[in-house]
Amino acid sequence: MANGKPVIVRFYRFKNRLKEKTAGLNPTGKVTLSAEAMEEAEKALSKMSEDYPDWVSGLVGKMQEQHGRCVDTPESRKECFEEIARIAHDMKGQGGTFGYPLITAFSDSLYGFTQIKGDIEDAVVELVKAHIDAMRAVIRGRVAGSGGDIGKSLTEGLNEAIAKYSV
Amino acid sequence: MSNYDFDRVSVLLVDDSPFIRSLIANSLKVLGVGNVYAVEHGGDAITFLQRVKNEPMKVGCQQIDIIVSNWDMHPIDGMMFLRWVRRHKDSPDRFVPFVMITSYTEPDRVMQAREMGVTEMLAKPFTVKSVGEKLVSIIERPRQFVHTKDYFGPDRRRQAIQMPDGRDRRVLTDKSEGVEIIRG
Repeated sequence: MANGKPVIVRFYRFKNRLKEKTAGLNPTGKVTLSAEAMEEAEKALSKMSEDYPDWVSGLVGKMQEQHGRCVDTPESRKECFEEIARIAHDMKGQGGTFGYPLITAFSDSLYGFTQIKGDIEDAVVELVKAHIDAMRAVIRGRVAGSGGDIGKSLTEGLNEAIAKYSV
Repeated sequence: MSNYDFDRVSVLLVDDSPFIRSLIANSLKVLGVGNVYAVEHGGDAITFLQRVKNEPMKVGCQQIDIIVSNWDMHPIDGMMFLRWVRRHKDSPDRFVPFVMITSYTEPDRVMQAREMGVTEMLAKPFTVKSVGEKLVSIIERPRQFVHTKDYFGPDRRRQAIQMPDGRDRRVLTDKSEGVEIIRG
């Protein structure tokens, strides 16, 4: 400031470079998103959503492998659990996006059990198995949404397993 | 009337879920975005931005025009990344539009991102339409940046709402003492 008074606020006003870049030869006129491109993108998105159960199935398979390692080689449980946690976290964030909130709920619960600080007991390994089984059932049955009676019984079954092994 | 041409636009996409990442990258590409750079988390994103700054020829990118980032990621989440972009001295462009993708849509979480200088929020589950709308909003309604002692980011006031007595809500005007306007 010329008079040496302190600046309280600075406003930065830049010309709209992004508009210049995207509006082409029509920088002042009305510009819209291409309707065809939007339609194409919608199609691509719903196509990918259809692939979601298959994709999740692959992830559950990976968890199953890690579970197998936990049983066969107890000394590697810690690193197996880290991998299981990583996959569960990944699944947690998106089940709901594609219409499978049960996958989100089950992976969220599983993620919680993978955050153990001390030794990993057999009971916890069994709990991982119970979660994997429940998720498999969701995918196999394409149990979308809350899943009605099937969803309810899967959730109850898992909760029973948690109660049984958590003691 | 014509259509946007995103061919010369570069987007940095940050998401730790490979599925969501390819989903958004694919949607952006179908909408015509020329370059989509996808990385796994905030740490990788920072490394990438530094590379763009230091060796643009090698990366093949002069500048990132828009950042689209997930919030919940490990080890560096979207908020930490946003803080770096807006406030760190090594940030190559503190003014870059930043879209935060999140399933946290509680008002206090949205406020938290707003106070950190987010440009737009994209709520999960998202649609192609919502992604397109954010792009248009960024292009058509850019906001001035405000720098005060406790805030740096796009103007948090999107609307010119007057106080009931007709005064502007903003205490200072362009002509007030202590106000500096920087144009570029």
